[in-house]
Amino acid sequence: MSMQHRSLAILLTLAAAVTAVAQDNRPIAFTNARLVPISGPVIDGGTLVVKNGKIEAIGKDTPVPPGARVIDASGKTILPGLVSAWSRAGLQPAQPRFEEPAGGRRRGGGMQMPQMGGGGGTQNRAATKVVDGLYAKQTVFGELLRLGVTSLALNPAGGGFPGLGAVLRPDGKTIEQLTGDDSAFVQVGMVRDGATKKLLKENFDKAKKLVEERKKPPEQPAPAAAAPAAPEKPAGDKPAEAKEPPKGDQPPKPEPKPEPKPEPKPEDKKEPPQGQAPAAPPAAAKKPEAPKDPNLEVLADLLEGKRRALVQIDCGADLLHWQTAVADDVKFPRVVVVPRHDNTAGTVDAVLDQLKAMQCSVLLSPDLATQPRSRMLVHPAKQLHDAGIEVGFVIGDQPQALRFLFFRLMELVRYGLPADVALRGVTLVPAKALGIDKRTGSLEVGKDADLLIFQGDPMQPTGQLEAVWLGGREVPQQP
Amino acid sequence: MLRLPVLLATTVALLATFELPAQGRGRRGQRPGGEAPPTAPTPEAKPAEATDTKPKQYLAIVGGDVYLGTGQRLSGATVLLADDKIEAVGHNLTLPEGTTVLDAKGKCVSPGFVAVQGFGMGSGRGAPYADSVNPFDPEIKQALAAGVTSFLAGSTGGGATPSGSNAVIKLHYGSVKGMVLQEDSVVGMSVPLSLADREKFEESVKKVKEYLQAIDDFPKKKAADANTKEPQLPPGSEKLVAVLQGKARLWVSLGGGGFNPFGGGRRGGAGRANDLDAIEQALDLARMLGRGVVLQKPISAWLVPDQIAATGSMVMMSPRDRTPSDPTDPDRTGSNLAAAALLAAAGVPVAVTCPGGMFGGAGVGTGGILGQDLNTPHLDAAFAVRGGLDNRKALRTLTLDAAKLLGVEARIGSLEPGKDADVLILEGDPLHYATFVTTAVVNGKVVYEKGKEPLYRHLAR
Repeated sequence: MSMQHRSLAILLTLAAAVTAVAQDNRPIAFTNARLVPISGPVIDGGTLVVKNGKIEAIGKDTPVPPGARVIDASGKTILPGLVSAWSRAGLQPAQPRFEEPAGGRRRGGGMQMPQMGGGGGTQNRAATKVVDGLYAKQTVFGELLRLGVTSLALNPAGGGFPGLGAVLRPDGKTIEQLTGDDSAFVQVGMVRDGATKKLLKENFDKAKKLVEERKKPPEQPAPAAAAPAAPEKPAGDKPAEAKEPPKGDQPPKPEPKPEPKPEPKPEDKKEPPQGQAPAAPPAAAKKPEAPKDPNLEVLADLLEGKRRALVQIDCGADLLHWQTAVADDVKFPRVVVVPRHDNTAGTVDAVLDQLKAMQCSVLLSPDLATQPRSRMLVHPAKQLHDAGIEVGFVIGDQPQALRFLFFRLMELVRYGLPADVALRGVTLVPAKALGIDKRTGSLEVGKDADLLIFQGDPMQPTGQLEAVWLGGREVPQQP
Repeated sequence: MLRLPVLLATTVALLATFELPAQGRGRRGQRPGGEAPPTAPTPEAKPAEATDTKPKQYLAIVGGDVYLGTGQRLSGATVLLADDKIEAVGHNLTLPEGTTVLDAKGKCVSPGFVAVQGFGMGSGRGAPYADSVNPFDPEIKQALAAGVTSFLAGSTGGGATPSGSNAVIKLHYGSVKGMVLQEDSVVGMSVPLSLADREKFEESVKKVKEYLQAIDDFPKKKAADANTKEPQLPPGSEKLVAVLQGKARLWVSLGGGGFNPFGGGRRGGAGRANDLDAIEQALDLARMLGRGVVLQKPISAWLVPDQIAATGSMVMMSPRDRTPSDPTDPDRTGSNLAAAALLAAAGVPVAVTCPGGMFGGAGVGTGGILGQDLNTPHLDAAFAVRGGLDNRKALRTLTLDAAKLLGVEARIGSLEPGKDADVLILEGDPLHYATFVTTAVVNGKVVYEKGKEPLYRHLAR
C-alpha cells in the first residue's frame, strides 16, 4: 500500500517536472475538437495529439497515431493553459479560510495585487529572489491550476528594484517542485516619488558603467562569449554557498577584479552565484576595491539583454515619470505591467504614444476603466491594441476573480476588442513576458500539453471549463 | 457678442516695440502676412530659428483683443508663440511659415490666470514636486476651464522663522516636463512675533546679510589671501538666505498659523475688526529685510496703503471676504470692498484669491467647500472692480501681480516676448461673469478647448 503511494508520488513528481521523462508512452488524441491554438487560426473538428507530455501534432486532418488513447472532444474547445504573469500567491502563510460572499467580487474582483503604495524601495534589491519568501504548503496553487492557470509568476512587490521574480509550476507541493525558474525576470516598480526615481536613475547609471567595464578586460578569457559558468541548476542554497567564501576571503585579496569576472556571464536566466545575500557584501567588504554588488550585476545582465524585466506602472503619469527618470538609452527586454486601472489618477491610454515608444507589450487588468472621476467608460486594452501595441492581461492570483475571467474577457470583446486578442492576452502574451513562450502559451507542436478543455465556447456564457491538463496529464478536479 | 463697451472707451496703450495701426481697434493686424510677403519670417523670429537645431513650433493667436496682463490692451492684435515661449505680440506681425493659427477674432486674449493658493490639480505628493506630479489629473482640466494656468501648491509655512515647502505648478496637461515652474519660491512666517522671536529674527537677518556680503567679498579676499576661508551659511537659515537673495518671497500670515485651506481662521474668532497691529509687524519685518513682504489676507490694509507701498510690500486678498466693522469705530474697522482699489491706487501689487482661503480650482467637485462655485477666479477679481478698481488693473490681480506675489513674474503673468506661452482665449471680457475660456494654452500647447471637454461645452455662446 505505502509502496504504491510512494511510486505514485514519484510518478506525479516526474510528470510535474515536465521533462521528457516517459511515464506513459501511449499517445493521447483529442478528436473532433474545436482547437484554439492562439498562434494560428481556430481549427474546427481538429485533432490534437499529445505524447510524453508534449504536443505531438495538431491539425484538421491529423491522423490518430496507432495505439493512441482517443478522447472524443466533440462539442468541446481546447485552449492552451492560462498564464498569470502577476501573482503574489504563496508569499503569505496560508490564512484560515472564510466563506466567500455569494457572487464573489466581479469586476476587477479581489485583485489585491502588489499594491506598492507610496515610497517604494530606497534600496536596490534586484538580486533578491522572491521564491525565498515562498510558503509552499498552500492550496492556492492547486486552486489556480484547477481554474486553468497552468503557469504562474511570482512577483516581488515594491517600487524600484524589489527583486527577481520567479515562474512557478502550480502542481508543485514543495518549494523545489513549485519553482520552475527562480530568476525568470527582474521586477521593476515605478513609483511617482523622488526616492524611487533617484533609485532607478542611479542604479541604471551604475549598471551601464558595469556593462562598459565588463566589455573592457580583453586579457580575461573572453568574458562575454565564454561557456555558461554554472550549467547546473542554481537551486535555493547554491548561490548562498558560492557567495559565502568570497565574503570571507575577499578582504585579503588584493585584486578581486579578475576573479569575479568570469562569474557574471550566466548565459541565460539561470543565474549562478550572485543571487543571495544582497545586503551583506557592500557593508562587509567595501575596503578592497568593492566586491561585486549582486544587485548591480543583475541590472547589468538586464542591460546586456541576458535577463528580462516586468516594469510596473500604475497610471499614465507614471510612464511619463519613468521617462524622466530613466534615460532613453537604457533599453532592456521588458514588458510594462499595469496591474489595475487607475480611475482616479488617469489610465494608461492617455500615454499611448509613449507606450508605443517603449516598444514592448503591455499587460493590463482585464477590465474596462473609466475616465478619471467619471463614469465614462474607456477601453485601454482596445486603445492600446488599435495603436499597434501587443496587449496581454494581468489575471492575478485570486481564485474568486479567476472564476470570472472569461466573463471579463467577454466584456472586453463586447466593447470592441477582437476575441483572439483577448485570448492571446491571457496565454501567449504573458508567456512571452515571462520568457516561457517556448514551452507553453499556445497549442504548437513541441510545446507542453498545457490544455484547457471547455464544454462549448469559452467566450460564450454557456462555455464551461471541464478539464485542465498540465504537461500532458489531466489535473484531478477534486484535490 | 463682444462685451467691450467699457474697454473700447479706454485708451489703447501703445507698446513702443510694436506698430499699432492708427485707429484704436484696427483689425487688419489679424491677417497673417499683412503687406509683407507671406513667406518672410519676422526679424525677431529669424535669428532664433537659425540658432536652434530643432525647428520651432509656431502658434499664433490672431485677431483677438489682447490683454497683456500689464494693464494694457491691444485690439485685434496677434500673439505669436514659439515653442513654449511668447515670441511677439502686436499688430501686423508676419507669421513664420508653418505657423498654426488660432482665430481669436471677436474674442479676448489674456495671460493665463495665476492662482496664488491651490492644492490638488495634479500637484503630487510634495517635494520634490517634479517627481510626483500627475499631468493627467482631471482637476487640471477643471482649473484650466476656469482660466487658471499656474498655481502655488504646498504649504506657505508659518511660525517665527521662515518655513514652508511649495512649488509653482503649471497646468501643462499631459506632460511631466514643464509642470513645475519653481519650487520654494515662497516662504512663510506669521506675526505677531513675541519680542524674543522678533529679536532672534532680527539677529538672523543680520547674520545672513553679513554672510551674503562675505560671499560677495570672498573672491577679492581670496585673491588677496589664499588662506581665506569660504564664508559659512549660518545654520538653519537657507530660507532666509533665499528671501534676502530675492529668490523667494516672504509671505506673512497675520495672526499665526500657516496656510489653512478651510480657514479664514482669523475672521470672526476673537471678534477682531482690524489687524493694523499685525500689518505693522509685518511691515516691520519688511523694513528689517529691506524687501517687501506679502501680506496674507489683511483686513485693514485699506487704511494704510501708503505705508504698505513704502516698504515695497504686496497684498493677497479676496475682495469677497467680509469682516464686520466694530460698531464703536465703524469707519476705521472691518473690511472694505474698496480695499483693492485703494491699495492699487497707492501702487501696491494686489493678488486676488477666492474667499475662505481657498481657490475654488483647488478642490473642484470633491474638496471644495462649495464645490464648483469657487472655481471662478475672474469673479473674485470682478468684486474688486465693483469696489472701484480699474477693470484693466483688476486683471493684473490674477496675472502679473499674482505672479509677483509668487516671485515668478519673470516667467509668467503677462504676454510679453520671452515669457512662458501661457495664454487664454476667452469668449469676452475676462472678468465678465458670463465669460468662459474657449482655449487655454500652457507652455505653447493647447491643453483645454471648451468645445472638446465635457465641462462647459453644452454652454454654447
